[in-house]
Amino acid sequence: MNIRHAYVHVPFCRHRCGYCDFTLVAGRDDLVERYFSAIERELSRVETPLHLDTLYLGGGTPSHLGPRGLRRLFGILRTRLASAAQCEVTVEANPLDVTDAFVEAAADCGVTRVSLGGQSLDATTLRALDRDHAPVDVVAAAERLRQRGIVVNLDLMIAAPGQSVADVDRDLEAAVGLSSEHVSVYCLTWEKGTAFDSQRRKGLVAAVDETVERAMFERAIDRLEAAGYEHYEVSNFARPGFRCRHNEAYWDCRPWEAFGPGAARFDGRTRSTNHRSVTAWIDRVLAGADFTGDRDAMTDEQAARERIVVGLRRRDGIDRGPFLDASGFELDTLSGSAIGGWVAAGLAIDDGRRVRLTREGMLLSDGLWADVLGA
Amino acid sequence: MPIDCKHIRNFSIIAHIDHGKSTLADRLLEFTGTVEKRQLKEQMLDDMELERQRGITIKARAVRMEYVHKGERYELNLIDTPGHVDFHYEVSRSLACCEGAVLLVDAFQGVEAQTVANAYAAINQDLAIVPVINKIDLAYARVDEVLVEMEQSLAIDSAEVIKASAKAGIGIEDLLAAIVERVPPPKGDPNAVLRAMIFDSHYDSYRGAITYVRLVDGTIQKGQKIRFLETGTTHEVIELGQFVPQRRACESLSAGQVGYLVCNIKDVKQVHIGDTVTIPGDAAAAALPGYKPPQRMVYCGLYPSEGENFEELRDALEKLAINDPSFEYQPESSEALGFGFRCGFLGLLHMEIIQQRLEKEADLDLVQTAPNVTYQILKSTGETIEITNPQDVPDSGQIEEFRQPIVRTNFLVPAEFIGPIMQLCTDRRGTYLKTEYLSPTRAMLTFDLPLAEVIYDLHDKLKSVTRGYGTMDYELVGYFPADLVRLDILVGGKKVDALSIICDRRDADRRGRAIVKKLRGEIDRHMFEIALQAAIGTKVIARETISAMRKNVTAKCYGGDISRKKKLWAKQKEGKKRMKSIGSVDIPQKAFMAVLDTGGTERT
Ligand code: SF4
Repeated sequence: MNIRHAYVHVPFCRHRCGYCDFTLVAGRDDLVERYFSAIERELSRVETPLHLDTLYLGGGTPSHLGPRGLRRLFGILRTRLASAAQCEVTVEANPLDVTDAFVEAAADCGVTRVSLGGQSLDATTLRALDRDHAPVDVVAAAERLRQRGIVVNLDLMIAAPGQSVADVDRDLEAAVGLSSEHVSVYCLTWEKGTAFDSQRRKGLVAAVDETVERAMFERAIDRLEAAGYEHYEVSNFARPGFRCRHNEAYWDCRPWEAFGPGAARFDGRTRSTNHRSVTAWIDRVLAGADFTGDRDAMTDEQAARERIVVGLRRRDGIDRGPFLDASGFELDTLSGSAIGGWVAAGLAIDDGRRVRLTREGMLLSDGLWADVLGA
Repeated sequence: MPIDCKHIRNFSIIAHIDHGKSTLADRLLEFTGTVEKRQLKEQMLDDMELERQRGITIKARAVRMEYVHKGERYELNLIDTPGHVDFHYEVSRSLACCEGAVLLVDAFQGVEAQTVANAYAAINQDLAIVPVINKIDLAYARVDEVLVEMEQSLAIDSAEVIKASAKAGIGIEDLLAAIVERVPPPKGDPNAVLRAMIFDSHYDSYRGAITYVRLVDGTIQKGQKIRFLETGTTHEVIELGQFVPQRRACESLSAGQVGYLVCNIKDVKQVHIGDTVTIPGDAAAAALPGYKPPQRMVYCGLYPSEGENFEELRDALEKLAINDPSFEYQPESSEALGFGFRCGFLGLLHMEIIQQRLEKEADLDLVQTAPNVTYQILKSTGETIEITNPQDVPDSGQIEEFRQPIVRTNFLVPAEFIGPIMQLCTDRRGTYLKTEYLSPTRAMLTFDLPLAEVIYDLHDKLKSVTRGYGTMDYELVGYFPADLVRLDILVGGKKVDALSIICDRRDADRRGRAIVKKLRGEIDRHMFEIALQAAIGTKVIARETISAMRKNVTAKCYGGDISRKKKLWAKQKEGKKRMKSIGSVDIPQKAFMAVLDTGGTERT
């Protein structure tokens, strides 16, 4: 199979943010060496080097490796993961890590795009989110990257504890002022087992009311669209030509490779996720044991149904012709009646060729998928 | 040669639940050598698995024992009685087969409501009472006080009370001797025309109905033709015998004896408890007194959670009814729930038992509507109709009189709880009748209460206000007029028939508010706003709103995220399947029980 996309998970952070439930270790830099060995070992799965259109280093905080660590990692990756022409290479970064030396190293490694975990450009909100950087760090990092010709994504988080709609408006103004090529907007989620969630259970912090949260999110959509960003997927906004091609590969259900703890790969039918514990993944890989956790094996029809879900989360929606070509199923055979119901309820628009969700439908879309995924 | 009546003793053990009846029965079986100790399953007589689970006796059983007293050999028949108020009628039929009753009282718990109820039932049937105080070996036994209670409440001479511990085997011999000496032998003429009473039956998949009988007069032989007077059917006796405790066949049974008949009867519905067995033809004996058809006090709707399982539910109900003639079912349909059955039960416990069996034995997922009692309506046309489903209540214009069942309820409580019980019963529109003191610290309060107020949660409430010490028992007094109304519930503007209830007009506001509030908690938010209303006729008396969901979208859908999310969505899908859709509102099954919420906290 011709795999053109790869993800590498770098599970290190300086500290764990209170809302975060990702696969990572904080304050365990002692594991970095073994992690490199394990990545090297896992890469040996790949017999002939891949020629990639996109490569994405996510985390955790890949930038936490520092300039030298980044060079090391790319040195290892490049033995098996080669860039094709125009390859998009993204690295996630904490603004604090984006020093001149880091930018230098990134450019040397072929990085074309940096995703900045800015979250907010307001000091109070950053504190509420338990982040360790200041607004100026975000501005400085973006500026450094731009000067080096690296495309910037800014991650923005809204609906933080204590945040008002006016706060969000101010953050959006600042974000637009930063004029990154790409913006991702996420409403804070209260994941089970996180420090935030336990504080909320104790009544120490409160989640933003759902109606307010929706208003915040709609403000973000409106403001960013007004500033010339395309809202091309639920959480993602890009200036023309700057969509994240790596993420689009996920949503096109193209196969991709993945390496590192908790990383998920997809062969077109089955999605396998590596063991989510960092140490267990390292130990198992190095011991030559099975390091895969969940395996989501789908029939052609299930894969096609999943394609509907990820497709409809995109603003472009689903074009019936290409859908049939890619999945082997008629869209309407799988979901015709559900779609009819959504159109009638104002949740979707269907021009006969293309189906896409309205804003209302997008905002409520989780409630629609049970009907699509059911056999 | 038939056994002489003077060597027969027929008795029951009556007790409040948990006072050690089953243990005592086991001990008697063991002591008389009827069963060996190692064969004794715990609670020998309760052979239905559910009974063992719940630790209560539901169906009557009969066991024959042999005991030699002063050189004479006696046949002792122990007829077990159900311990729960739902099965009152079966208790009375069982007692009618006995000449004596062992009245068992726990040395710590003392006299309780069912002790009194059962003891009076026995006394009223002129049975000799053999009082026993059980568990005397326990450290916290309060023998002397309990003796006083027995004397006060039941006029029992404390000198006659046998002190025993069934568990430790103390006093068993004394008890057996007392049974022989104090319980009179049955009076009956073995040479007269056959006359026997049916006091129980059960269904055996190989032999058909097994009919339990007590012979009053005459004898009955294998191969003989017999007639059931009430049903008017004639049968041939294929096998007869006694339980020892398993079935043991014999050639004949005669006056005074207790045993079973197998007559190739395929349907237990033909075997009516209380019916008289005699010979066919003109020489037949007259019927024994006291036959009553089983009276169903509680009805509810049972619907298959997935409509296509209707036939399976019908089969399962049919199977259950074969073994339990007191349970009744009839097809009905509901706009909300589709096709199902309206089922009648002796009481709430009976309902729970049937429902558990259905789910367990037939593996069916059921939606149950809230149970209701039966009502009577006298229509302006002069016709009286029985209402088992709130949907059948006619327009108020057609109702001359709306009657509800009233039960006389006895509460036995420590004296300090008299106040809370008074309060509890007044809140439930009870009529106070009297208080009697069994001892300076224990009192019996009697109220007439609407059955509807009693069955749902009064027992739980009693336990909570008396910290577990209070007990209660009740019996039907009759149907009396009351100011009753049908309260309808509308979800999203549509009336949901399966949620209607009948209640006192004065309670309607409170019940209505409680129900819509409860429903608000049971129904998930939808993409649109949902109005919940309670109404009498067209007048809305309570309203709640479930606000529309405003935002429900997964933010991150990269790499492996969708596999995780799909599991959540699949769960939602499963949940949705088990809901009923009214209009476009999905109502979870347990919401149909929400109407039981009486708004207790709002009572003043
Ligand atoms: S920096 Fe990012 S990955 Fe690390 S703990 Fe914070 S939110 Fe999680």
